[in-house]
Amino acid sequence: MTDLIIILAIVLSLLGGFSTVFVRSSFDKLICLGILTSGAVLFLVNKGYLDVAICVSLLMPIGTIFILLLLGKKREETK
Amino acid sequence: MIDIILAIPISAVICLLLFGSIDFFWKLPNAGGVSGSNAIEKAIENTGGDKNGGWMIANIVTSPDASAGTLLAACGFYIWGIPGAIISIILVYIGARICADKGYAGTSGALAATIVIWILTTFAGFPQESFIAGSVIAILFIQGISAKYASRFIGKIWRRLT
Amino acid sequence: MIVEGICIVIAIYCALRAVFERNTLKKLPFINAMNFAVTGTLVLLMPHPITIGVALAYFVGSTLESNAIASTFASRENQ
Repeated sequence: MTDLIIILAIVLSLLGGFSTVFVRSSFDKLICLGILTSGAVLFLVNKGYLDVAICVSLLMPIGTIFILLLLGKKREETK
Repeated sequence: MIDIILAIPISAVICLLLFGSIDFFWKLPNAGGVSGSNAIEKAIENTGGDKNGGWMIANIVTSPDASAGTLLAACGFYIWGIPGAIISIILVYIGARICADKGYAGTSGALAATIVIWILTTFAGFPQESFIAGSVIAILFIQGISAKYASRFIGKIWRRLT
Repeated sequence: MIVEGICIVIAIYCALRAVFERNTLKKLPFINAMNFAVTGTLVLLMPHPITIGVALAYFVGSTLESNAIASTFASRENQ
């Protein structure tokens, strides 16, 4: 049963990783990075690193929020 | 002990009715909470959806409401029984405050789901993990198949109830 | 066994539909449904009391990320 969940983690990570490369818009790339972190959190919980999983799943959205704030500032500076 | 293949569709319908009624009670299809939900509702409406249904789907996406409370209460109950569900109610309350959501939709959803799940597993013999699958299937029917037809369905029910 | 299978199939289906969707804002409901399924899978993978914290941290993080992407996309469209 754990094998099927590992297959889910592999599919999500590979799908997120490859679609980040091939998708055009920047917002879509951020969404596909979120799919990749889903696969990463599943790998972490499988091996028992529960506190590392809490840190990763809280820090990745904070990083995305920083990227979005920088996107807004860059647009204001080029105006 | 009900067979699990029979328990999953029944629990999906029960979860759908549960968080649907709690979301209607807190008037979620009426207006958006944050600016992100305005954008999603406009996108759904532009491709043929309904306005009130679009608000409800946008509020489910951008803030933890009764559907999140139902899922996390089911998870907590599966792990540790009643103490696990109480821990998850407290954590859902903290999580809703972190997301800057002033309402109590998530906490009330988790509370109602805990009571319903406890009654059904103790007295009717439902297996405990059937509610996790039930709430995931309920969310799939609202958001995962077609936002256009689901929003029209929800909008029709909302306008008939008010 | 059946419950994990349902969550796995729903997660892969929603991730695929999110990658192949054209409109950026309509990807977000599919991503939210995928996060529901991954949260259910996390709990079924390791039934330990700390996993409640992992599931909640993952779910709140994913909701914050979707909210940030949607509101930044909205304010960029309004400019």
